[in-house]
Amino acid sequence: MAERRRFGWARRNWALDDLNRDIREHIEREVQDNIDRGMTPEEAHRQAMLAFGNVALIKEDTRRVWVWAWLDEARQDLRYAARTLRKSGAFAAAAALTLALAIGANTTMLSVLNAVLLRPLPYQSPEQLAMLWTEDPTQNLREARSALWNVEQWRSQSQSFSDMAVFDAMGTTLTGAEGAEQIVGASMSPNLLSLLGVQPVQGRSFSTDEIDQQQQRPVLISHRFWQTRFGGSRDALGATLVLNGVPSQIIGVLPADFRAATLNADVWTPRTMSEGGRARPGVPGPETWSVIGRLRPHVTLAQAQAEMTAIARRLNDQLPAVERNRGITVVPLSLQIVGPESRQALWMLGGAVFFVLLIAAANVASLSLARSVVRTREMAVRVALGASGGRIVRQLLTESLLLGAIAGLLGITLAIFGIRLVRGFGPANLARLNQVDLDVRVLVSAVALSLLAGIVVGLAPALTTLRRDPRPSAEEGGRSVTGGAATRRIRSALVVAEYALAIVVLIGAGLLVRSWWQVKSIDPGFKPERTLMNELSAPAAFNIPQRIDLYQRVLEQIRSLPGVESAGIIGDFFIGSSREYVLTVEGDDGTVPQRLRLARDEVSADLFKTLGTPLVRGRFFSIADGPSAAPVAIINEALARRAWPARDPVGKRFKLGSQDSDRPWYTVVGIVGDMRLQGLEREPVPQIFESLAQTSPRSVDLFVRSSSDDPTKVAASVRAALHQVDKDVALSGVAPLEERLGFYLAQRRFQTLLLIGFSVVALLIATVGIYGLIQYSIATRTQEFGLRIAIGAQAGDIFRMIIWEALRLTMIGLAIGLVGAWWLGRAGSSLLFGVTATDPLTFITVSLVLTLVAVAACFFPARRAMKVDPIVALRVT
Amino acid sequence: MSTKRERERIELLQGTLDLLILRTLRLGPAHGHAIAKAIEHGSDRVLAVEQGSLYPALHRLIKRGWITFDEGTSENNRRAKFYGLTAKGRKQLQIETNKWDRLAHAISRILRPAPQE
Repeated sequence: MAERRRFGWARRNWALDDLNRDIREHIEREVQDNIDRGMTPEEAHRQAMLAFGNVALIKEDTRRVWVWAWLDEARQDLRYAARTLRKSGAFAAAAALTLALAIGANTTMLSVLNAVLLRPLPYQSPEQLAMLWTEDPTQNLREARSALWNVEQWRSQSQSFSDMAVFDAMGTTLTGAEGAEQIVGASMSPNLLSLLGVQPVQGRSFSTDEIDQQQQRPVLISHRFWQTRFGGSRDALGATLVLNGVPSQIIGVLPADFRAATLNADVWTPRTMSEGGRARPGVPGPETWSVIGRLRPHVTLAQAQAEMTAIARRLNDQLPAVERNRGITVVPLSLQIVGPESRQALWMLGGAVFFVLLIAAANVASLSLARSVVRTREMAVRVALGASGGRIVRQLLTESLLLGAIAGLLGITLAIFGIRLVRGFGPANLARLNQVDLDVRVLVSAVALSLLAGIVVGLAPALTTLRRDPRPSAEEGGRSVTGGAATRRIRSALVVAEYALAIVVLIGAGLLVRSWWQVKSIDPGFKPERTLMNELSAPAAFNIPQRIDLYQRVLEQIRSLPGVESAGIIGDFFIGSSREYVLTVEGDDGTVPQRLRLARDEVSADLFKTLGTPLVRGRFFSIADGPSAAPVAIINEALARRAWPARDPVGKRFKLGSQDSDRPWYTVVGIVGDMRLQGLEREPVPQIFESLAQTSPRSVDLFVRSSSDDPTKVAASVRAALHQVDKDVALSGVAPLEERLGFYLAQRRFQTLLLIGFSVVALLIATVGIYGLIQYSIATRTQEFGLRIAIGAQAGDIFRMIIWEALRLTMIGLAIGLVGAWWLGRAGSSLLFGVTATDPLTFITVSLVLTLVAVAACFFPARRAMKVDPIVALRVT
Repeated sequence: MSTKRERERIELLQGTLDLLILRTLRLGPAHGHAIAKAIEHGSDRVLAVEQGSLYPALHRLIKRGWITFDEGTSENNRRAKFYGLTAKGRKQLQIETNKWDRLAHAISRILRPAPQE
């Protein structure tokens, strides 16, 4: 009898093969016997079938024997694995925890990637949606908002887009029974919702003929606004809100997750898409909008872009000279919502965290390899008892799969906390971060990752077990002079791999930290500390002189408060609305109009003093720059450089509009330093500051510099002072300026902190890995050391030998890792700021740190090895 | 519970059939039909086992590693599986036979107790 060993399904198939034939043969033999006994063929067949029984049932029973066999073996393996793991508590705990940490981090990152990048946007056929922007290469503008005149032309001429809609945020004051307050408002063209394929959850959307009427203007509200203001009641429909002084009737409620691209507003008012009588025909007005379009089916983005470029070229010919040089940029909506930079950062973090998982898996594989050597004897006994190599491999794999499953379970639990952390502390300006959760896709990936980790971890020990001849080990009682040499080689390779991966992650973190310092050291152009920011808006009924008077009184009142050093007002600090203007500069060589994107702001006399922005030349505003005086302006250095290159602008005049327009001439009285108001990494925008005493917007930002380090201490008295001046002044967004600036660095801080975290974990695991290896290497070589000492080696030689082994592995890992970091760094260089991807300082520092850590990790085991007593070491053989 | 009792009955039957198969194969490898006939003849047809139930039993024994099989050609030149005992099976036969003897002895002592002296 051939006794080949087969397992699981192979054994089952081998045995069940030809079952049908076997049974048929059996019955035919019985029939033949019966005929021989003298029965008729029919009777013989009937009797044979009777004697045999229910053929179908028997086949089924026979098959079932094997189903259970396979499961039985698996269950047996599993039970044995669980017992083994329980017995080796320290190993199991260390391995499961290491893997669980890595799986937890990976699952968290996967759910972020899934929610932010992979999950489709909540619109109908979102892949057809694209944003359209005006492009002006001369100003280095790629994504500028567009005038309605242009949008009208695009919409009527384009074949690629089935429709286009416009929307934009607008400052909105809600006047209710309790007074006035600032809320987030926005406008949309009536076709926006149908273009996106979004239905209100209550009521209806705008009809296309609804334009902003003065009486009973219709308005849509957000789900959040509906819940917080109306408690989700149906009574909201038909209710009236007074928005910017205009009574508006609620006609519908938007879905909870509704956003126009990233714009999330509480109230939406309709806005006609035609320029109407607002501007001269054929000339774009000053109002600009965000534009979204839906591509016709089967039109590619490239086709749409090509067509829009052609349309832009045609339109340029119809426009006045200053309006030319315009292009149109088409950006897929998904890319608009999460930009290429964030995408790259997220993929980079995903890659880094996967590296951590690889390091963890390598480490646990290395640990279990060491353990498999200790278990050589156990394996030898099992082979002697009749277990085959395949059976043992399966057993070992079951063990590591169980380990992977436990780690996966722990890891997913960790991920639940990780996700909460990310949602709580992630950068607010990273879109869709609030939708991060553990969905089926993430869970399946996490489980797959855990099992994969389990297999990877078990593979190395299983394979070495297969190759090893168990017999000598059994005879020697598991103690062998040469034993483990092959294992040590594999473990060395694993440690080298761990180090190489850890270096890549560490260098990434190092480069980000360097970038972080570079960004942090950028002077924003003002001093945010000790400053409280408040947003306030004047009552809607106030006209300009009333507002000028109001702000004057507000500033006087607040300046007199105890603990307040100074106070100033600026129209819109964070330049929500930089626009394009035709700027006509009065020059010695005639006036040259140019179209420029710039920010216009109104500031009070003390604003720059309050913010600590330096005056470069000229003077600040004074009381004399009042409503009746000639219009004056302060400009920033960016505008001075651009509009008055190589000349002193102070005393020069300019106007916003073409030379023949009836706009007033402004005289430049001062130049202030640039303020980086759109983020530290963004170039400052050219700015014009007008005197708040000459023109007064309805809503402004009030800055109060307090004498104490905590500016929130004056918040209450500021509020009281405001209400004392006028109780209808709406106050919102009260926060220290430093806090408001958080978004400047939020995303960079997020990715830097995460990568630092990952790299610390990577370094830790890799260090534990090399420590374990050296420890193991020393343990298996005790006799060798004893022998060496016996024949005259000095303790120092042993020490040097061990440190050299650690150093050699570190160096190999270092070399591979540095090449990898150099190679990957080029791909991720756009995430860096002010340092190159091959920054020598980072590379050298990381290499030194890693080498030092590795040597330190091996110092103590090596010290112990020095003290090996040759007598003891040799006797144990 | 009837299902439990039923299962116990099947267990008993299964075990007996297994023992008979092992015993039959001690004489040398045989194909399925021959095993069935041998059991029938050996027991003077008292144990009229349903021939089909042999197959789940054979596979159970293969699964346990007590018997194995080879493809062979039978007397009338037909291909068939020849089942044979493994070393493990031989040992198991010994154990099972002892077990059976003890069981039979115990049961007969209960059924027909020796008269009190």
